[in-house]
Amino acid sequence: MHIDRPASLPALPARSLSAVALALAGSLFGGAVQAQPAPLAGGSLTWGVTTEPVCFDPHRSSQQNSFFLIRNYVDSLIYKKADGTFAPWLATAWTISQDGREYTLTLRKGVTFSDGTPFDAAAVKANLDWVKDPANTANAASFLVYYDHTDVIDPGTAKIVLRQPDSTLLESLSSVKLGFLSPKILTKNVDLCSGGPGVIGTGPFVFEQYRRGQSVTFARNPAYAWPAENAKHRGPAYLDRVTYRFLPEYAVRTGALSSGQVDVIEGVQPTDIGLFQDAEGFQFLTGPSSETSFTLNVNYTQPPADDVRVRQALRDGFNGEAIVRSIYRGTVPRAWSIIGPSNAAYAKPLVGTWGNDIAGANRKLDEAGWTGRDSEGFRTKDGKRLTIALGYPQPYVRDNRDILIQAIQAALRENIGLDLDVRIISAGEWAKQTATGTWTIYPNTDNPSDAAMELWDMLGSGGFLYGNIKTPDAETTGLIDKVRLVPDPTQRQPLLNAIQERGVQQGFIVPLFAPHYQIAAKANVQGLGFEPQLDAPASAYEIWIGK
Amino acid sequence: MPLLRRILVRLATGALVMWLSVTVAFLALHALPGHIEDVLAGDMNYPGLHEAIAQEWGLNRSLPVQYADFVGKIATGDLGTSYVMRAKVSEVIASQILPTVELALLAGIIAAAIATALAVATSGRGEIPRSIASTLEMVLTSSPVFWIGFLLLMLFSFQLKLFPVSGGDGWRAIVLPAITLALPTSGLLAQVLREAMERALEQPFAVTIRSRGVGETAIRFRHMLRHALLPAMTLGGWLVGGLLGGAVITEKVFGRPGLGSLTLSAVTSQDVPVVLAVVLLAAFTHVAISTLLDIAYVLVDPRLRSQ
Repeated sequence: MHIDRPASLPALPARSLSAVALALAGSLFGGAVQAQPAPLAGGSLTWGVTTEPVCFDPHRSSQQNSFFLIRNYVDSLIYKKADGTFAPWLATAWTISQDGREYTLTLRKGVTFSDGTPFDAAAVKANLDWVKDPANTANAASFLVYYDHTDVIDPGTAKIVLRQPDSTLLESLSSVKLGFLSPKILTKNVDLCSGGPGVIGTGPFVFEQYRRGQSVTFARNPAYAWPAENAKHRGPAYLDRVTYRFLPEYAVRTGALSSGQVDVIEGVQPTDIGLFQDAEGFQFLTGPSSETSFTLNVNYTQPPADDVRVRQALRDGFNGEAIVRSIYRGTVPRAWSIIGPSNAAYAKPLVGTWGNDIAGANRKLDEAGWTGRDSEGFRTKDGKRLTIALGYPQPYVRDNRDILIQAIQAALRENIGLDLDVRIISAGEWAKQTATGTWTIYPNTDNPSDAAMELWDMLGSGGFLYGNIKTPDAETTGLIDKVRLVPDPTQRQPLLNAIQERGVQQGFIVPLFAPHYQIAAKANVQGLGFEPQLDAPASAYEIWIGK
Repeated sequence: MPLLRRILVRLATGALVMWLSVTVAFLALHALPGHIEDVLAGDMNYPGLHEAIAQEWGLNRSLPVQYADFVGKIATGDLGTSYVMRAKVSEVIASQILPTVELALLAGIIAAAIATALAVATSGRGEIPRSIASTLEMVLTSSPVFWIGFLLLMLFSFQLKLFPVSGGDGWRAIVLPAITLALPTSGLLAQVLREAMERALEQPFAVTIRSRGVGETAIRFRHMLRHALLPAMTLGGWLVGGLLGGAVITEKVFGRPGLGSLTLSAVTSQDVPVVLAVVLLAAFTHVAISTLLDIAYVLVDPRLRSQ
């Protein structure tokens, strides 16, 4: 079920290389990589992106689509690799105390913010304390629920002390949301959401200009010499300048790239992929899928979905594989778990174990007493129709996801006589439903950090879905609370599997498909890739423009 | 001093309209389901977050207190800070207003030019050109702005590469968006103009002018157009609103800066200060346009001067 990772992608540009180069090479794939010329420094690049960030402050932003832009000027302590292990970045080494409460980090020497302020233990403390301070209402504070304080041991050593062990901390520290801004701008108490040259990090680019409604430009940081250990090169970025232009319409991005007005686009409509994939002069890349899959979260405390048989019927009453394939034309895989298939924490045992069992679904509804039928063919019990509302907040509707849900709605009606009452609701109505715990089905993807955190968000006792519900499933919430205490990956995985399996088995979650970023670019753009933790395109650090 | 009195009455009613608009918008935003702090928190939850957000923006105060605070600040020219963008609303609006005004103004001029040309060329003339024009106008009027935008982009930007797809830079970037926005408006305007001209052409004075030997095009430009202007102007005032509304979609299609997308996102995220500022601006525009139109009527129609 794994989709292409960036590591396998350099094969694509090979198609544009000359036959001579291929003939000289021993094997097609390896040969193509060897035949690539040395990276060229200089030039500028323009991306057409789907979303204009509402906020450029890494600690405050909550938009998935903003973080790969922010990554250009913000570095983290550690880097999460595709296999789930961590590489040194601004921290060269770290140790975790026996009780799991103290993380001692050795910081890289010679790192400076672009305003000249040294990056040291005091800067680490200043940033984490700022995020934790409730007065700042930072989104990233959700990563620091168990954070107590940071001790500055010496300028090169910081010790993070937690109130209780938290196995999600390492991945949280690798997230851009806990990246570092110059302590000088943190204390100045200016709001950094609006971007501009005043937003100062340690990253490979500096913030040059933000033109609201139009574009944002970053310029190379010539002093940069501290990429993550697994980066493909050291030293400054290749590009002089990178500009991200906000082009919210699919067709406009496609046209802008095919007519050469931009070099790269992100977010390619399934019908347009053929214009770039295997096409002369272009390349097409798909990213990892390690955030949560697009999932129907079913509120198991609200009737009629408080009956496990109804939830299981909903889960099995449609052919998810066929519906996903017809809407996305084979560009995204169907999901088996709420955790994305590229994530090391993905519950592999779930693959192929559920779904599309229409006879079984009908049997369960019969058992549950939904045996009547009304004039429109829906099942009824005691004269009441089998209806479950699905409220999809309008601001989150994108990516043909509403159409996918409508297809499922039609299938459930035809297959099992269940009325999925799909409504596009306002953000306010959604907020009201979560605040009162009365939401019914919530379709969503979520990308905090760390699989345990994702599960905590969506199914945990303090997450935004079940936080206001008095009696969430004790077994699920208990397992989630427990897995946050266990730092050892080998002990963690069985627990993570158990949570995902229980969620699917009980019909708390109905995973639909595993979304991933899609990039199309001119063939001469080299070094495009993805950051596994972000689940999004990497920063422009490795990108260069070939001949 | 009837003139001074009229100006004072104008100013007073204008201020009243703006105050009422802001009040209604404030009440409407708070009547929407959900607490604003919950909307702002979104899919984010940790202990104390919602309370901290309410504290930060003063949302934990009673509604009358919040209302008095907003109106009091607006009266002193302080539009407050956006809950979502966390930037001064006055700065955000200032950075976005010019592109939208430029776009709407240019679109208005293009629409007026196309409509005048169509009306002069076809009113009261042969049946065939008239029905061709009238069909064209119907098509333009009923075409969605985004569809026209895509067609123009595909032809002139992606194929012929004459104009850039997006941006707020230079005259090239504004050509396609302005035409996109102008076309539906010009269709409607042309229909109104032609009908009014045809009515004027039936008047006895038209015969008089013709008897002096004035040509068919000259009679329309010099004499009939002026008669047709009154209904067109009334419509024109209403069209300003249409142009500003159409700008929302045009800006999105072309990736242009402007007030459109700003307003859209502010409403969906219940960003009260931004919505209030935009409503205030819209009310101001309405008052200003209707005042200007009142003056223009007098200039165009001598009969009004004697009143």
